[in-house]
Amino acid sequence: MSDNLDAIRVEALARIAAAADEAALEQVRIDYLGRKGPIAEALAEMPRLPASERPLLGKAANEAKQAIAAAIEGHQAELERGRLANLGHSESIDVTFPAPPLGRGHQHVLSQVRRELEVIFERLGYHVEEGPEIESDWYNFEALNLPKGHASRDVHDTFFFGEEVVLRTHTSPVQIRAMERLKTPPIYIICPGRTYRKENLDATHLAGFMQLEGLAVDEGLTVGDLKGTLLYLVQSLFGPARQVRMRPHHFSYTEPSFEFDTLCGRCEGAGCRSCGQQGWLETGGCGMVHPQVLRNGGIDPDRYTGFAWGFGIERMALLKYDVEDLRLFYENDLRFNEQF
Amino acid sequence: MRISYEWLGEYVDTSDLPARRAAEMLTMTGTKVESVEEVDLSAIIVGRVLEQREHPKSRNPLWIHQVDIGGEVRQIIAGAPNAGPGSLVPVALPGTVVPSGKEVRDARIAGEEGRGMLCSAAELKLSEDHAGILVLERGEPGQSLAELFPADAILECEITPNRPDCLGHMGVARELAAAARREMKVDFMPSFVPGGPPDRIPVSIEEPGLCRRYIGVAVRGARIEPSPEWMQRRLRAGGVRPINNAVDVTAYVMLEYGQPLHVFDLQKLEGPEIRVRRAHPGETLLCLDGQLRALTTAMLVIADAERPVAIGGVIGGQESGVTDNTTDLLLEAASFDGINVRATSRAFALRTEASLRNEKHLSSELALAAARRAAQLLVELTGGTVSGEWTDHYPVPQEPVRVSLEPWRIDALMGTVIPEEEARATLRRLGFHVRAEEGSWDVFPPVFRLDVAVPEDVIEEVGRIHGVDNVPPTLPGRRRTSWTALPTDRPLDRAAQVLLGGGFNEAVTPALVSGRRQERLGLGGAFSRLANPMSEELDAMRVSLLPSLLQATALNRNRGRLQVRFFEIARVYLASAGDAPLASEPSRISALATDLDFLLMKSVVGRLVLAVGAPAPSFERGQGPLFHPGRTATVKVGETTLGILGEIHPAVLAEFGLSGRATAFELDAEAVLSARAVRSTLSLPRFPAIERDLAVVVAEQVAAAGLLETIRGTAGDLLEALTAFDEYRSETIGAGLHSIAFALTFRSPDRTLTDSEVDQSMESIRRRLEADHGARGR
Repeated sequence: MSDNLDAIRVEALARIAAAADEAALEQVRIDYLGRKGPIAEALAEMPRLPASERPLLGKAANEAKQAIAAAIEGHQAELERGRLANLGHSESIDVTFPAPPLGRGHQHVLSQVRRELEVIFERLGYHVEEGPEIESDWYNFEALNLPKGHASRDVHDTFFFGEEVVLRTHTSPVQIRAMERLKTPPIYIICPGRTYRKENLDATHLAGFMQLEGLAVDEGLTVGDLKGTLLYLVQSLFGPARQVRMRPHHFSYTEPSFEFDTLCGRCEGAGCRSCGQQGWLETGGCGMVHPQVLRNGGIDPDRYTGFAWGFGIERMALLKYDVEDLRLFYENDLRFNEQF
Repeated sequence: MRISYEWLGEYVDTSDLPARRAAEMLTMTGTKVESVEEVDLSAIIVGRVLEQREHPKSRNPLWIHQVDIGGEVRQIIAGAPNAGPGSLVPVALPGTVVPSGKEVRDARIAGEEGRGMLCSAAELKLSEDHAGILVLERGEPGQSLAELFPADAILECEITPNRPDCLGHMGVARELAAAARREMKVDFMPSFVPGGPPDRIPVSIEEPGLCRRYIGVAVRGARIEPSPEWMQRRLRAGGVRPINNAVDVTAYVMLEYGQPLHVFDLQKLEGPEIRVRRAHPGETLLCLDGQLRALTTAMLVIADAERPVAIGGVIGGQESGVTDNTTDLLLEAASFDGINVRATSRAFALRTEASLRNEKHLSSELALAAARRAAQLLVELTGGTVSGEWTDHYPVPQEPVRVSLEPWRIDALMGTVIPEEEARATLRRLGFHVRAEEGSWDVFPPVFRLDVAVPEDVIEEVGRIHGVDNVPPTLPGRRRTSWTALPTDRPLDRAAQVLLGGGFNEAVTPALVSGRRQERLGLGGAFSRLANPMSEELDAMRVSLLPSLLQATALNRNRGRLQVRFFEIARVYLASAGDAPLASEPSRISALATDLDFLLMKSVVGRLVLAVGAPAPSFERGQGPLFHPGRTATVKVGETTLGILGEIHPAVLAEFGLSGRATAFELDAEAVLSARAVRSTLSLPRFPAIERDLAVVVAEQVAAAGLLETIRGTAGDLLEALTAFDEYRSETIGAGLHSIAFALTFRSPDRTLTDSEVDQSMESIRRRLEADHGARGR
């Protein structure tokens, strides 16, 4: 009987060694260790054997079973090693196949730039203030030294609803409202928002656009502080190599007033098509807050000075992403929006 | 403002300063130079026209010239007939690039050879005058034009509205002098004072508020003829077309000082006298541009004893104008009220060289300087005589301005150190007078500067000439005693993140919309309408974001993108009821999808409200002007309405040229934010849950909300979660009925539930549903 078991064992080990995959190995296990396998059959014979032979047979059957089981396990590990070693071939995919889109929406580029700007100034301790877009003549003009009939109002082609109510032409009225609300300097605020001018729509003009205005009122603020703030802005937004240039200009609500330009990122000042051969890109307006404007906001100009700046958010997006037509920002053609 | 660099040299030494360098200096001190056009005429030569005949065959009128260009005669074809035989003309030979950029080539036009080009003033960049060939006053055939015309460069300058003194060459020269640290070669006030007996034309000013000064200078025995070449050249360079010596003098002095002047034919003035008054009702004036204009009593006119002869500060009349036969002139130099000039100019939509200067409210002292200068030139050029005692009616003398400035404040405001000597030299070069006391200056701005009133104005003058390039950049910072605390993100950002994650693209759309469309969409009533819209398409403030999203959807569909999901977070504008002058401007969170059904969109709303930090919203059947009457819900948290959710009404889709279906919602941002509650986190369950499904058949009009409420009420605290997962109708269920399936999760926080207690609970739920809603099992 044990000779028979030896033969089974030899036969089983040979089949294990020959098993090419998991399935063949599993079949060997069923054939030899299963309930209907030869070892089980041999053990089933046991009651019919003389009592003296039973332990011997039991031992031999157990040994055969363990040997076969160990061999299966060993071969299984070998097969697994081989499978893992071969993964590079067996599970290879075409990594150059174009990817399907991730089903996520795209944040609008103006929102992205606006948020970036807000974060930049929040790091400097500014916070966002808001004000109405349908605004009174006083806040939009008079309080900013722009009396009725004044030639300086000419650049503000204004939409109006009645004698005293206009669509704000800039975010500067929020400066006055914020000074009134916050009352005591230090005041460090930014005012992003929609503004409106009655201009014919073309690639560089929109009837409605967004500005971001900043105001700082504190003791001892200087033109140098204004310059440093603008430099911080431009370098945060466009990269540390960018420079700022301030050109004296005129705004009724700041004194002195400047326009500020950013060094062209393409030609670094040498002049190219993207900056109209100027080397610099017109970016925004700024200046030291006019003492009368501080007074109009309830701030004592003998104790405090202030600076302010403003620019178009579209303009910043345009400079950052080289967009050629402002109208694209408001059209929402997804072929444009999904580039951002 | 076109500035001739050659002309600037009259007032400040520019001999060693290239035009481009000067332009840079001007730009960096506040006079922005938009462009520099250098005029190089060395390649252009003088030609003498020997013969001129009309082209026999050409369909366009052309003239064929035989031109002597110095030892050689060439045939040249031109499109203008004004270069008759004997004329001296500028000739560009083939191969030359003329200053306007055109390259000259040999040409053959309808069988005739043309070997060169006769140039207009515009082609030579001597002016913007395209009309006709420039006829020269002197020159020899073959001579280079560079020998006749001094080298020049045209600087196109942007002059800010506070600096009308820079709308003349002398003002820009003064800026350049200060920027380049050199002195002006001429005084502001000409010393010209002629002799002779008094010659005062009577002038009365009825409206001293609108005309602060009126100088009338009679010039007798004048000879009207073309002005000399140098003056014509400079006028052309300044963009003005020469007319005759008298008129040219007024234009010349205007381009020099920035003060508009006018000349009348004195003999055509009734009286002769001048009355500065408001126009009478019904008065008209035939103006110099040939237009007859109806005047209103709001307008200031210059009248003689009978009728208006000019619109004050804007334009002169034709009948009183100077002609070749004029012998006696009246030169007008006056100071008008800027606001009135601007209103009149706007009323006529007429901007003249005079109005665009006068509307900036010029100094009254400028009128005297310009009158003297013009009188001097008129005497020189017309041969007329002028009396030293002319009419100068000056009812409201200009107040002298004095600004007290503590000089330390210059450095304190600029944030840099500017030596006092430099500051004083700058002010001197700009025409300011400084009286320095210990620690305090009295600064007297020049009479032509009305924009300087406060110390900051003076600091700006010093600072801008010093240059901000020299100011070190710093960031402000001191110990702050107050601040505004900021969260690291904004609650509405979370709403945006949910929508972006759900595949919605953010849109940013214009707030100005068509009021008519809003009315058509049933959004009428309380919206703000512009009094002066650009068009009917953009005349109102929007009251909902959804039409804008529908428009963006239509645009994309027309461009081939069939399915879109859009959202926008922006303000709407609700006209105020009652007395409040301004509108209310609440922010809205709106979204629209063409490929999500009602329930998926509802899921988006639920997720969004939770993400912002508010409790899960509830939904009730609702109505809204843009929405489907049977597929719309009001979104609420507790008793607060957050907004509306539903399918867009098919008629609304049609309004935008859309078909199919679209779902949308519009939530009030403030309502969503105020629904936020403090949140606590639940600890994880320690005992297993038991899940059961329940399908019931009810009448179609029984809404899920009622069934859910009954289930919750009956199951009590052990019901952990409840949702409906299947809803359908079929013939086997029966007409007017539908089946709804619910998934229930039971769990106890402190023990393991048994099947039998859950079975009991399910049984009571079934009975309750049957009793309350007529539900039967399935």
